[in-house]
Amino acid sequence: MKRTVDVSIPIGPVHPCWKEPARVKCETRGERVISAEVELGYMKKGIERIMKGRPWQEVMFLAERVCGICSVIHNMVFIEALEHISEIVVPERAAYLRVIVNELDRMQSHILANFSYCYTIEHETLGMYLLDTREKVMDELERITGARVTCAFIVPGGVRFDLRAEDVLHLRASLDILEQDIKRYTGIFERGPMIALRSRGVGILTQEAARESCAVGPTAKASGIADMDRRLHHPTYQKLGFVPISRNEGDNFARIMVRFQEVIQSIALIRKCLDQLPEGPIRGGGIPGAGEIAYSGEAPRGELSYFIKTDAAGRVLEISIQTPSIMNIEACCHYMLKGVASLADVTSTFVSSDPCIACTER
Amino acid sequence: MTLLQSLKNIVRSKSIHVAYVDVGSCNGCDIEVLACLAPRYDIEQYGIYVHNNPREADVLLVIGAYTPGWEEKLQSLWQKIPDPKVAIAIGNCPISGCLFNRPHTLVDPPVSKHIPIAAQVPGCPPRPTEILSAILSVAPTVFKDFEVRK
Amino acid sequence: MALSLLYYAQEFLRGEWAKKFLAAKTAPLVTPPHFRNYPELTGKTCTHQLICMMACPAPGAIDVVMTPEGWKPRIHIGHCIRCGLCVEACPNGVLTSGRILESMFYDNTKLSFSFRIDVDTEKCMGCGNCAVACPVNKLIDAQMSHGGRASTDDLLLKVSEGKCHVLHVEKCTGCKTCENHCPNEAIRVARLLEAIHSPEEEL
Repeated sequence: MKRTVDVSIPIGPVHPCWKEPARVKCETRGERVISAEVELGYMKKGIERIMKGRPWQEVMFLAERVCGICSVIHNMVFIEALEHISEIVVPERAAYLRVIVNELDRMQSHILANFSYCYTIEHETLGMYLLDTREKVMDELERITGARVTCAFIVPGGVRFDLRAEDVLHLRASLDILEQDIKRYTGIFERGPMIALRSRGVGILTQEAARESCAVGPTAKASGIADMDRRLHHPTYQKLGFVPISRNEGDNFARIMVRFQEVIQSIALIRKCLDQLPEGPIRGGGIPGAGEIAYSGEAPRGELSYFIKTDAAGRVLEISIQTPSIMNIEACCHYMLKGVASLADVTSTFVSSDPCIACTER
Repeated sequence: MTLLQSLKNIVRSKSIHVAYVDVGSCNGCDIEVLACLAPRYDIEQYGIYVHNNPREADVLLVIGAYTPGWEEKLQSLWQKIPDPKVAIAIGNCPISGCLFNRPHTLVDPPVSKHIPIAAQVPGCPPRPTEILSAILSVAPTVFKDFEVRK
Repeated sequence: MALSLLYYAQEFLRGEWAKKFLAAKTAPLVTPPHFRNYPELTGKTCTHQLICMMACPAPGAIDVVMTPEGWKPRIHIGHCIRCGLCVEACPNGVLTSGRILESMFYDNTKLSFSFRIDVDTEKCMGCGNCAVACPVNKLIDAQMSHGGRASTDDLLLKVSEGKCHVLHVEKCTGCKTCENHCPNEAIRVARLLEAIHSPEEEL
């Protein structure tokens, strides 16, 4: 006689698969998840409160530390918002350099997300391959900006360091190696029968559900929504002819594949940038002034918005940040996790949406 | 100390289990700890196994500036780790609060107020090599002169 | 059978193999020279302009101390976030970190500081605490009277007609002493940092 039991199982906050503390409470019958709820509040530091009343040179570093994985885009969105407020013009070379560093950062973030997923489904070999590949990206990031994680590269009116001729050669050489490696790993992931068993058809997010839950970034792109990519509205990306990627499956497999494809796309974008890189100054100067703006950019996890109000001396009076992970966590808990067949798939589904708890709570 | 115990200690100090707990960082130090797993740094060649289970750990890596959400939870986590144990503070946050230790903040650094810290790795974030050398320097001291209490 | 035993013996009795098996495996990794490490002294003379402390985004990471050899910046490890702004902002090149100084020379970039003092006339009570506390005022007019009134107009801050007035903002060093001594939060100093190319080379 089959028995159905209702159990509420908490997962986390300290869990072997998760890098950051969050608790997912699953209502289960047998092992099938009926509903899931996420409990946050382990990482709240009050960054927005600290930012108030500070000049850009202090807020810039705090903005980087909203999220350590995608630090460059936080820096970029904050600085570009300030530039829009005070009409600072960025030299063209600096705009291209920003895109190069931003895409390198996106690559390392995506590779890290895919590593976490492979690690969670216990495919450690592929995970380690990816982590080793990520080190190559980090090397390039370090060569250009001088730091591995918190680069502090983008300042109002330009960037901090120029790209040297020998760095361009290094970058091109490692992009070739990276492209080859990532294509190989994409093949392993796409054709692996064991990976398919753990990934295909697990944690499905339909297009309607993705729209309802306001999912963004690779999570939405895997469900067939690609028009919300903020890079389409960025002038430099428009010059590069950026077209977002989308897939239709909407399962864990599609989310990881979208990230792999975006890495390949980022490599192409960087190559295009290097080809078109104009000569000229890298700094235009300019001091931020008074004004307010809502500005957004595309982080590795999706749309990132800053609302900033500054005073005449360029100090931040009010700031509010909307990070992509909060929407993706909503989509994950209320739509993807419903009907997941086993508890082992709960962790892998949660990781596949690439949640960044530090961003979410700030 | 019996001969058997000292032999056990020598063997166990060659196989350290590491757990990490994030008490409110920006994630930068977490991924640098993860990068230690990468084949380039390869923390496992030194007999150090990184996983996230406090019940099996010898070394606890504390990352982050101690947010109010971890009030009492960190102590209970620390008590769950079997003896002998040490904690290493990774990054500036557990040492000084880094950029977050400003007026109107919610964090309450340093972490050494709450649990005993054996070593500190400064940097925002520290390089994986720095984390690795810190763990390696602490590892032999964990099991030194350890005796099971009767 | 014998051949494979021989092969194994040949493989495992090598000293190199045993060494690799017992000791650590990868070569010790070196920090690349382009990594922005903690700032180090170059040996150039520090002129105590404190621009490094103005630029530093981390609380308590750098201070400038008097040593027998003169003023020297001191980095507090555990607070420093290795951003390199102090290296870039220093007008004398006292500090160095990674390739920053080299890049600044090649790219011809610099960070320029200017200061701006805002006095909220609604809140200002004219107590003169700011003018008396100001270290720049002290150098110009050591005799400044209680209440911030003075005969000379060379000063940075001066109280006249019951309000504080900013006379020569270009003399400000951005130390924020006035802000800390104001009882009513009426005076605010803004440190304006601008990332530019050095002007000499453009001419």
